[in-house]
Amino acid sequence: MLSPVKIWRNQKHIASQLGLVGTIISWSLIRVPPDGFNDQAPYPIAIVELENGSRILSQVVDWKTDSLKPGQKVKTVVRRTIETTQDGVIPYGIKVKPI
Amino acid sequence: MIGIVSYGTYVPRYRVSIKEIALAWKKDPEEIAIALGVREKSVPGIDEDAVTIAIEAASQSLSLFLKKPNAIEALFVGSESHPYAVNPTSTIVGELLDIGHEYLASDLEFACKAGTAAVQMIAGLVASGQITYGMAIGADTAQSKPHDALEYTSASAGVAVILGKTHIIADLISYNSYSSDTPDFWRRDGIRYPSHAGRFTGEPAYFAHVMGAAQRLLNKSKVNISDIDYCVFHMPNGKFPREAAKRLGFADKQLGASLVVDHIGNPYSASSLMGLASVLDVAKPNKTIFMVSYGSGAGSDAFLWKTTKEISKFHSKQKKSGYTIEHQLRQTTDITYTEYLKYTHKL
Amino acid sequence: MNIAVIGTGMTVFGERWEISPRALARDAVKQALEDAGCDKKNIQALYVANMLSGMLGMQGHLGALFAEELRLSIPAYTIEGACASGGLAIHTAVLSILSGEYETVLVLGVEKMTDHKPEQVSSALMGAGSNEERLAGATFPGLYAILARSHMEAYGTTVKELASVAVKNHYHASFNPKAQYQKPISIETVLHSSCVADPLKLLDCSPVTDGAAAVILSKKPTKNGVTIIASQVATDTLGLAERKSLTTIAATTEASCKAFTLASISLKDIHVAEVHDCFTIAEILALEDMGFVKKGEAGKRISEGAFTLGTAKQCVINSSGGLKACGHPVGATGVKQIVEITDQLRGRCGKRQVQHARVGLTHNVGGTGATAVVHILRKEMYA
Repeated sequence: MLSPVKIWRNQKHIASQLGLVGTIISWSLIRVPPDGFNDQAPYPIAIVELENGSRILSQVVDWKTDSLKPGQKVKTVVRRTIETTQDGVIPYGIKVKPI
Repeated sequence: MIGIVSYGTYVPRYRVSIKEIALAWKKDPEEIAIALGVREKSVPGIDEDAVTIAIEAASQSLSLFLKKPNAIEALFVGSESHPYAVNPTSTIVGELLDIGHEYLASDLEFACKAGTAAVQMIAGLVASGQITYGMAIGADTAQSKPHDALEYTSASAGVAVILGKTHIIADLISYNSYSSDTPDFWRRDGIRYPSHAGRFTGEPAYFAHVMGAAQRLLNKSKVNISDIDYCVFHMPNGKFPREAAKRLGFADKQLGASLVVDHIGNPYSASSLMGLASVLDVAKPNKTIFMVSYGSGAGSDAFLWKTTKEISKFHSKQKKSGYTIEHQLRQTTDITYTEYLKYTHKL
Repeated sequence: MNIAVIGTGMTVFGERWEISPRALARDAVKQALEDAGCDKKNIQALYVANMLSGMLGMQGHLGALFAEELRLSIPAYTIEGACASGGLAIHTAVLSILSGEYETVLVLGVEKMTDHKPEQVSSALMGAGSNEERLAGATFPGLYAILARSHMEAYGTTVKELASVAVKNHYHASFNPKAQYQKPISIETVLHSSCVADPLKLLDCSPVTDGAAAVILSKKPTKNGVTIIASQVATDTLGLAERKSLTTIAATTEASCKAFTLASISLKDIHVAEVHDCFTIAEILALEDMGFVKKGEAGKRISEGAFTLGTAKQCVINSSGGLKACGHPVGATGVKQIVEITDQLRGRCGKRQVQHARVGLTHNVGGTGATAVVHILRKEMYA
């Protein structure tokens, strides 16, 4: 089970990063996932430069092969992140979606 | 006068066709498509749920809203797929959208009409002067048992509606609700999939309540069917809303704009609100909209709306941001039955 | 500085199912003590390098654990810096001798990775990255794959050139009886191995390995004449998103520049080097960031045969087989690099001996470049 307190502290960051536009700087497609991401694999991760100048590393969702390229415009959305136990607090986080 | 000040919609991009599902169970796809009046349904991504869908819809409505998010003083989310049995969806949405802390949050459940019940409650709070702006959301990632009839229609979407007294794009002329204890469709606590009573979900359930609420609205508002520009009914499949419209005397052209079920199936708490949004996306000023939702268990919420001239300005803002339902319906990805099972956590 | 490496030892690296961490430690330390001709009671402090024991096995306090196991009642410390734990432990031990507090210390790097499922190990290794990277579902192959893709976009490095790093290191390891993999492989084999994180394949990645390595450092030089003449550490941001560049590991450049300057050594003096090839791209970055080749050219040079055993008049890179083929028991790697270079400078490497090796370098990286540790070693020639 993930720490509810850590999830709570992290959610404060999410609000500030939601609804921003950015571009993909570089990416990779994870085919062998770590614990907690088994159901989501394969999935891309990317370094994205946001319109506010900062960079984030996040999963890419609702993607097609041709949207995985440097320069692809994306926007930040909220999705479930790591899988947790059936009785644990659900972690939400920022992912990016090609636009 | 109170009314809709802004709204937002979200439909996940994945689609599984009736054909895909039917073939998995060795059924005749055409027969099912004709019986249900549905061709395909929307499927949420594996990492989407009622919370994330509510956030998408709410986020849209806030970006087209003239005030800051913290002007929202009440936030109600209606769903039958709230991720927690105990822990509100509404506060997660409120927190992540910077609504602040000075608001009333509440989660509602009433099968497919929890979202419209939320609209009526928010309307009451605004009318009383207790709040200036409030948001009602209907959002679902509807579940159904594989091989059950509901598998062909249970879908996913979210709609957020902000109500207030100024800058209204659609006035709320009149509203009422019709309720009874009718066990047509239910899900016990802790049980994964809902159950239903087959054909009992038709006349004694859907039609009794939709007609009951519609009659009362017609009497109360003294409006004639022929004077109404658009009608919206809850869409559990493609047939029931068409039948309800027919019985009340509405013509195809009055119903047509609301029929999103043809493209996305039944997103439960978002169904009739999606129908309303679909009409609002295209309605010109001064058009009346007659809307009746339905939630199993059972009840119907009826509304009479009238668009204002403000809606034209709203449409221009919408066009710039690409937020219309039509725009979303153009960006879909077809998936296989196996992927559908995976995304809805059945595999 | 002149810190003598008076004894070295390492276990065979590989999947050592029957061998516990305590047994791995005993094996490596026994060899180091025998090599030094040193009695246990001369050891004044113990530095243990390890990353995963706490996360995977719920066992911390390794200084005390291994001091107990080795029957040493001396000050004992655990040093952790992800995959740079070994290098950092060596560095800390060097500083402790320079401080005057100790004369002779033992550094032990040990890692047991095969007791747990691969997905759990993969998750635990992400402890070397940032929280944002973990929540994104990133893995180390995925993060280095982003570095590889950036390098390929910027400099035209190809997957074949990446593969040539693996081929070189497996070739070297075929001469190393302690290596995890002792058979040469071909470019085709690398390219046809399954994709782990595009564009990196299975054989672009170092394996999961159990192993231990130990060195004894002393203030007083010995007959073998090998001393550490530079020990430098540099750090950069924890996560990749915060880095200034995705085609350079700045910590490598900073640590190596400082090391070269303080030791008054230049690159052309280096005969043999162990660099941090956790993934094939990592070796390419290491060679460029330390200046062995110009930026963007490492792939081409290695695929042409540079830095390989047997090519005359050239620095040999990763004579042990590197992390890729010798294996990468995370906490032990940085210490094993010192073992390999010391043995090279002493002429004890048999078929993989680099002729006339007098000056060597080790390069150990933590995470995707958040920590870099560089050591330079030299064999003193006595009259």
